[in-house]
Amino acid sequence: MTYATKWSVPNSSSMKYNIANIQSIYRTKRLIKIFAHFFCPTPLPMRDIVVLSGSSHPNLAKSICRHLTVEQGVLASKKFSNGETSIEIQDSVREKDVFIVQSGCGEVNDNFMELLIAIAACKTASARRVTAVLPLFPYSRQPDVPHAASLTGAPSLTVKKDQYTYESAPGTPKPLRDDTTDVFASTPPPLSLMTPSANSSTDLLSKATLNNLRIPTGGTSGKIPSLTPTAIVTNSAAVNIPSVDAYGRTESGYKQWVAQNGTLIANLLITAGADRCITMDLHDPQFQGFFNVPVDNLYSKPLLKRYIIDYIPDYQSCVIVSPDSGGAKRATSIADALGCSFALIHKERRAKITKTSPSASGSAQASPMVRHASASSVVGNSATMVATTMLVGEVKDRVCVLIDDLVDTSYTITRAAKLLKDQGAKKVYALVTHGIFSGDAPNRISKSAIDKVITTNSVPQVHTAAILGDKLEVLDVSRILAEAIRRIHNGESVSMLFDHGW
Amino acid sequence: MHPNQNSIKIISGNSHPQLAKLIAEKLRLPLAKIGAFQYTNKETAVSVGESVRDEDVYIIQTGSGESNINDFLMELLIIVNACRTASARRITAVIPCFPYARQDKKDKSRAPITAKLVANLLTTAGCNHVITMDLHASQIQGFFRIPVDNLYSEPIFLRYIKDNFDLKDVIIVSPDAGGAKRVAGIADKLDVNFALIHKERQKANEVSKMVLVGDVSDKVCLLIDDMADTCGTLCKAADVLMKNKAKKVIAMITHGIFSADALDKLNNSKLDKIVCTTSLPLQKKLSQCPKITCLDISSTLAEAVRRLHNGESVSYLFNNAIE
Repeated sequence: MTYATKWSVPNSSSMKYNIANIQSIYRTKRLIKIFAHFFCPTPLPMRDIVVLSGSSHPNLAKSICRHLTVEQGVLASKKFSNGETSIEIQDSVREKDVFIVQSGCGEVNDNFMELLIAIAACKTASARRVTAVLPLFPYSRQPDVPHAASLTGAPSLTVKKDQYTYESAPGTPKPLRDDTTDVFASTPPPLSLMTPSANSSTDLLSKATLNNLRIPTGGTSGKIPSLTPTAIVTNSAAVNIPSVDAYGRTESGYKQWVAQNGTLIANLLITAGADRCITMDLHDPQFQGFFNVPVDNLYSKPLLKRYIIDYIPDYQSCVIVSPDSGGAKRATSIADALGCSFALIHKERRAKITKTSPSASGSAQASPMVRHASASSVVGNSATMVATTMLVGEVKDRVCVLIDDLVDTSYTITRAAKLLKDQGAKKVYALVTHGIFSGDAPNRISKSAIDKVITTNSVPQVHTAAILGDKLEVLDVSRILAEAIRRIHNGESVSMLFDHGW
Repeated sequence: MHPNQNSIKIISGNSHPQLAKLIAEKLRLPLAKIGAFQYTNKETAVSVGESVRDEDVYIIQTGSGESNINDFLMELLIIVNACRTASARRITAVIPCFPYARQDKKDKSRAPITAKLVANLLTTAGCNHVITMDLHASQIQGFFRIPVDNLYSEPIFLRYIKDNFDLKDVIIVSPDAGGAKRVAGIADKLDVNFALIHKERQKANEVSKMVLVGDVSDKVCLLIDDMADTCGTLCKAADVLMKNKAKKVIAMITHGIFSADALDKLNNSKLDKIVCTTSLPLQKKLSQCPKITCLDISSTLAEAVRRLHNGESVSYLFNNAIE
């Protein structure tokens, strides 16, 4: 009895010990499992993830899926004959983690509506979480000044390809009579284009015919009538665009403004049901604050940095140039990271004729601050806008690398390249994250002083590559996006991508 | 408020400027200097050249356009949002033909209810009120958290029928079972008979088999429907009616979308005439198809705008056509 009781005490303690032992074995097993996550040579299969692609950039979505080693979900998108978008999701998304890849390019509004409808469809189909992957965020950059073409450099649709100029590469003089297709080649812009209301009242469907004008056809050299950009204010289908003077004021004295769509776009995405957004190089970092849902803003900076290091010979001696003052911060951060010197181009617009005296320009030559003044008159207005461009920094006999987040009409960047070459730059590279290259931008770039354009495939570049050929180099962002998707799906930190890229 | 100051602004979108102009004329107001345009990258922008602070704003935009219905929708959202940021007191979207009205139910698995989405988008953009006409399903009103005034084109059509036809040999026909209720109402008001065509639909925009319920022999058949898109239903219904010895067939449609090859179909069909409203811009289509006649709805919309602005009842418009 005593023996038994004697044993009972240590026995129970050994039992305890055993239980603790078993617990520790389980713990080590779990640890091994966690370590296996790290050392596993092939990534563990991703469960409950569905990656869908909108119609804007199917190739990007395809390569994202390849990097994730998941099969792409089927999203059938078509249009009814009345133009309404119709979406059909052919795979089950119930309780799944859905990622929809759609870039803000091409027919922006169609693509954006398609995205909204797809998000709403996933939400009504009981998806657990829907993430909108927008490599290029639509409506992230719009000029806040009114749209008079000559003033902002952002021409509207009706600016015919022969009516603006390649400032950096003036066309060779040719007799203007040789083209038979264009009636307006040698004459000033037609009145009907400047007074939209007169035109639109007669032809309401003219917007549809404008489609023909949207696509640049190339081969426009020799059709350049003058060096002054003509001011054609609106597309002919637009009505009630107020006419303004050079100060942007209407007759009544009201200062005209253009609505900023940032919050609207953010709210529309949230309304449709997006739980999260992934985007890249947002034009305004403040844009993230417009959302009530998390926005992961990825950076292409590591990618661009690596390109400079790998492909630009003797990169330490090159100059990083920001084509406008807004992008100075972006450019300086790359310059700092690489240890390169930095230059800045600043553009001023004044509704006055500021006469630069010859002595002033002479002194400007000596100083590092160089001013380039180009006057462009507003048609139908007595006031004249003067755009003064100045370069801050030394670029003579150096390789220049222009850095910008977004190139659309490419006016800014081609002008900047011309200025740099005028100041004796040896070679001009342009590194841009989002190459929209709308309108006739590819042709303008191919004629410009830029030696090489490097952009990413956040926007399809097939069309641009066809025109620019060797001048264009496209970096792949699908790995960054895929890694971000993987990390978000697994609940891992994304911040590592900000510094190191992928 | 200053007595001379106008507290109402009419803004025209690019989808149907003529209708906006007519509405503004009926209200004896100028159109506000606010308009949308497009950049080369195809993003829409809205330029505001006039103050709307503390004004009652009406934006006229219809769901038209085969290639750019989404552009017009975005344009509307952006104009609404622009007015909201410009401190407008109340923003009313006047959408005679509501876009995506037919995608109003989850008829397949994972099908989107886009009409609901559009309703939410409008509310999010900052819309306070919506005026529309002959919604494809009046339940769409329930998708909104804001008041929706669904006007009817019925009084306009009733007046047209009374003015142009001898009621003794008229029969009202519904081209599908869904429209039976609407047609029965019209037949009651005119005190005439009605018939119904039952169709079996297998795919969207495609009709397979049609059965006529009712006697139409030696009658003038008035086919009444809320919208005509590809016009397949209408043309086939006309065939069925003519086969059943109808005297002639006239189609009366609120929203004449006439997309794809609809105009060719109509030209070759047995339809005598197509009467539709100006809820959509039809200028070009009128010249391509001489059978189409347009009834003006701007006075109804203008009256609705006036009544809404003055805080009067709109229900008068449900039963009465405005001259």
